[in-house]
Amino acid sequence: MRKEDQDAADVARVIAGDLCGFEAIVERWQHRLVSLAWRFCRDRATAEDMAQEVFVKVFRSLASFRGDSTFSTWLISVAVNTFRSRIRAEGQPLPDVDLNRLWDTTPSPLHELEERQRAEALRRAVLTLPERYRDAILVYYFEEKDMAESIRVLGVAEGTLKARLHRGRELLRRRCANLNPRAESAFEEAQ
Amino acid sequence: MKPDDIDRILSTDDLLEPSSNFTAGVMAAISQPAEPPPLRFPWFRFLAGVFALLVMAVAGAVLLLHSAPALKPVIAPLAPLTALAPEFGYAIAVMLLSLALVAIPRILARS
Repeated sequence: MRKEDQDAADVARVIAGDLCGFEAIVERWQHRLVSLAWRFCRDRATAEDMAQEVFVKVFRSLASFRGDSTFSTWLISVAVNTFRSRIRAEGQPLPDVDLNRLWDTTPSPLHELEERQRAEALRRAVLTLPERYRDAILVYYFEEKDMAESIRVLGVAEGTLKARLHRGRELLRRRCANLNPRAESAFEEAQ
Repeated sequence: MKPDDIDRILSTDDLLEPSSNFTAGVMAAISQPAEPPPLRFPWFRFLAGVFALLVMAVAGAVLLLHSAPALKPVIAPLAPLTALAPEFGYAIAVMLLSLALVAIPRILARS
C-alpha cells in the first residue's frame, strides 16, 4: 500500500473514532516531523515539543481536512505554520552562538569533524535569516529540492519561492564569508 | 563559503531520531481535553460600570447641592474635619491609586 493510501485510510479510521489510526499516523510521520522541527530550532527538547504540538493540532482539526492536497502536504504546512508561530511568539530557542568562535578551532586533520562544524554553523546561520528566507530554505531542502511540493507547503508562487531562495542563499553566503578564514583555509588544505 | 558549499551542506540529511516514548506522549496529549480559550477582559461590563458610577456621582452632587440647608444639622458635627479635608482627600486618592496600580497586573493576566 502506498504511503498516501495508508494516510487516507488512517485518517478515515480516526474520523470514525478509532484512535489507533492516529497512532499509526504518528508512528509513520514522527521521524519526519521531529527532523523538520529540529531544523527550525536545533534543540532536541524543543523539537519534540513542537512536533507534538503539531500532531495535537492535526488531530483536533482532522475533520476539517478536505483532501484538496495530500495528507503529507497538509501535515507539513500545519507544521511549518506552527513552528513559525511558536518561534515568533517565544523567540528563537537557539542559544546565542558566535559563529566566528564556532569556526575558530585549531586546524585538525579530522576534517570530518570540521565539516560537521561547518555544516552546523551554516544550519544555525539559516535560523538567523529573516523569516521568509529561513522558511523557504528550510522547506526547500527538507523537501529534497522538490520545488512543486515546497510551493504547495509554503503556499507561495514559484517566482516568489525562487526569489526567496536566491536572496536567502545570498545572505547566507555573505554572513558565512565573515567566518574565520584561517579555519577555512585549513579545511581546504586538509581536503 | 561558496554557493556550491551552501547547497551541498544544506542538501545533506539532517535527521533527529524521536525519543522512544514520543508516540506515547502524543497519544497522551490528544487524550487530554483541549484547553478552553483564555477569558477576555470584560471591557463592556467595565465601561458600563464606570458610566453608572459617573451618573451616580453627578446625581449625588446635584442632590447634595439641592438639599444643602436640610443637611446642615447632619454636617455640623463634621465641621472640625474640614481643616483636615485636603490632606485626608489626598491620602485617600493616593491609597486608591496604589490599589488600582497593584490590581492592574492581575487584571491584565486574567485578560
